[in-house]
Amino acid sequence: MLILAAAAPLWRTIDQPLALKGLVAMVGLLLIAWQLWWFLGRQGGGVAARQSEAGLQEITIVVDGGYAPSRIKVKAGQPMRLAFHRVDPSSCLAQVIFPDFHKSLDLPLEATTSLELPPTKAGVYPFHCGMNMVRGVLEVE
Amino acid sequence: MSAPSPPCCPAERPAVSVDGMERELARERTLLRRKVSVAAVLTVLVMVSSLPHMLGLHSLPLLPFWFTSPWTQLILTTPVLFWCGRDFFTGAVSAFRQHFADMNTLVAAGTGIAYLTSLFTTLFPQVLIAEGLPADVYYETVAVILTLVLLGRLLEARARGQTSEAIRRLLQLQPPSARVLRDGQPVEIPVSMVVVGDLVQVRPGEKIPVDGEASEGSSWVEESMLTGEPTPVANAAGDAVIGASMNRSGSFSFRVSRVGANTVLAQIVELVRQAQSSRTQVQRLADQVVGWFVPVVIALAIAAFVVWFLISGNPVLAMLFLVSVLVIACPCALGLATPTSIMVASGKGAENGLIFRSGEALETAGKLRTIVLDKTGTLTRGQPEVTDFERLAGGVLPADTLLALTAALESRSEHPLAEAITTYARSQLKGGALPALEGFEAVAGRGVQGVVAGQQVRVGTPRWFEELGIDTAALQPLVERLEAAACSVAAVVVDGRIEACFGVADPLKSSSAAAVAALRRLGLQVVMLSGDAKRTAEVVAAQVGIERVIAEVRPADKASVIRKLQEQGEGPVAMVGDGINDAPALAQADVGIAMGTGTDVAIAASDITLISGNLAGVPAAIELSRAAMANIRQNLFFAFAYNVAGIPIAAGLLFPFTGWLLSPMIAGAAMAFSSVSVVSNALRLRNFRPAHLPLPTT
Repeated sequence: MLILAAAAPLWRTIDQPLALKGLVAMVGLLLIAWQLWWFLGRQGGGVAARQSEAGLQEITIVVDGGYAPSRIKVKAGQPMRLAFHRVDPSSCLAQVIFPDFHKSLDLPLEATTSLELPPTKAGVYPFHCGMNMVRGVLEVE
Repeated sequence: MSAPSPPCCPAERPAVSVDGMERELARERTLLRRKVSVAAVLTVLVMVSSLPHMLGLHSLPLLPFWFTSPWTQLILTTPVLFWCGRDFFTGAVSAFRQHFADMNTLVAAGTGIAYLTSLFTTLFPQVLIAEGLPADVYYETVAVILTLVLLGRLLEARARGQTSEAIRRLLQLQPPSARVLRDGQPVEIPVSMVVVGDLVQVRPGEKIPVDGEASEGSSWVEESMLTGEPTPVANAAGDAVIGASMNRSGSFSFRVSRVGANTVLAQIVELVRQAQSSRTQVQRLADQVVGWFVPVVIALAIAAFVVWFLISGNPVLAMLFLVSVLVIACPCALGLATPTSIMVASGKGAENGLIFRSGEALETAGKLRTIVLDKTGTLTRGQPEVTDFERLAGGVLPADTLLALTAALESRSEHPLAEAITTYARSQLKGGALPALEGFEAVAGRGVQGVVAGQQVRVGTPRWFEELGIDTAALQPLVERLEAAACSVAAVVVDGRIEACFGVADPLKSSSAAAVAALRRLGLQVVMLSGDAKRTAEVVAAQVGIERVIAEVRPADKASVIRKLQEQGEGPVAMVGDGINDAPALAQADVGIAMGTGTDVAIAASDITLISGNLAGVPAAIELSRAAMANIRQNLFFAFAYNVAGIPIAAGLLFPFTGWLLSPMIAGAAMAFSSVSVVSNALRLRNFRPAHLPLPTT
């Protein structure tokens, strides 16, 4: 079982028609290209925070497997409030961390928790979950 | 040090907020434990059921034929997949919708593909048989992988709970209630209801609930849980008391000065939290890799399938490679490598009274080459005392008049030397009103001047009077004698005539010499910075074993001294100081270290705060930093090496040379335990013990 024991019956070469081999190769390559595009390609330009009366920029982020939206646009030099609504039970998402701001926020399940950040200079500030697996970006422009 | 540096705002967060989170995590651990148990039982059954197949036999004695049927295995595996492993699939799907791929994606794809292939074989075995392939099913693979990954998650959740233990322990230091005098009657109330100005009573053996100033009674207070200092400190009326410290003997009452998020304890917790939510330079590399990791692994897995299909034409074999690659890759280990070590190290620091403001501070402290120690308050106690008062030959005023004039002027100054002189003068005068002062002016780094009882009085450094063109010849022999005894000299000039001089000495802290020696053993160049005259400073430096002295530095120039050292390539440079005037230098230094006995301004400008005033904390912080960085490097190396080695093996790269094929089950086990190893390695930091600090043994 350690090294696959059943090598004898399993390790069998089968002559497959060339057309099938070609088809498998092509589908495989397409699948690779598509999933790279899906996961790594820049999907959409991000969502801009809305402006509240008090000069505060506000946005609600749904935490469900990832951050929706995960690319948030805000204006420089204005305070912002990010409201995280967590619906995903995974404990990995129970904390969100903004390393550049030295801020972390615990997110109780099925609740909305807000984080206020001070006015900031233009730049790209990533944020991520407690295990640094799920990520988002705060774009200040 | 990173781009935006918002002010520390502890008021945004309630002092204690972990309870709800703790409960949620505990609930999740319980559920996870149940799932692991169910999955383990079912998996053992599936494995027994698949034994004949694994051994290449048609049947085994004692096992009924129906039990070894693929249908039985299907029935046993399905709950493992859909109940125990449900979170992997829901997580993967919602992540997928966010254009995001993570651990769940890999586990769900790997086990899902193996399950679907097996299901197909179970339903249509004749399709495979017609192709000349055995109609094998891989339910046991699915069950084993899911069980192991779940078990890994459980172990990891447990270990991760321990990484935040330090904060939990800090929060537990605060007692739940306080005995407050209300309408003259002692009342026991919850700490959250105590307000500033309340009078709180503390009995021996009780914890002090909040910060305040002792007003009545005296006792010994143990602050080791906050400062790392093992010796209790004496406490009498007027002394500051820190919440969460332990009252050892004697009863006393104190006036509350800070509550809630403003207490020292709450601020320590907040600083530690901030450090734990920051990142280090080394982490950036890992971060970039993590972002690409999962999609690249999926691409490699598909590539492995295609290549093996082209080579062997055997879809089942190709599928096994695909599953192996998917489940062996562990992005978690990469993501966890740095944050867990930072969590444990900053928690360990807090336990010993060393508060790191950020991961970067923790990182840079270990790389320091030069350390600049401010003399006053850092090497010395910062409470100077007058040792000499000498009247000079040319003087005309009697001693009492001189002392009164000096006291009147100096009592307006906040300089530590002025305080010492005022205290001395008042004690010599034994009470009595001081003459009136007009037009007070402090000249930074030089002295103070004003008009007292109609006379122009100046108290300051001999250098200042030279600058003013006053004849200081009579002063010279005295200055030489006093400076040789490490005293600072303050001369008194009345109406342009030198009258007297004070010798003021600031006694060394008992810990200073040992700390300097420890810093040198750690390979650092130690520099002493002082506003004192060169000779005075050199005497003090010699007493603690420092060779390089930068003396006669005015407060405003401290930052530029640091800058000069950095420009000379002696960096990274650390500055250790405690006063308001140290704040620019602390900020200029690569690592600013504030002595916790110092001012809030200095602490706000620093990267590391030593809660105790013990200089031995500096070498301890550097050692902790080095230990933490070594730990992070081990973690990153392990995580990278694991993935770099594991993925090609799983993809069958070694097969042509060695005939090794990695079973997907082994791949799952390796993955589950790689992230556990990273967290466990980080937890080793809990055993860190600095060689140079007299730490409490708790």
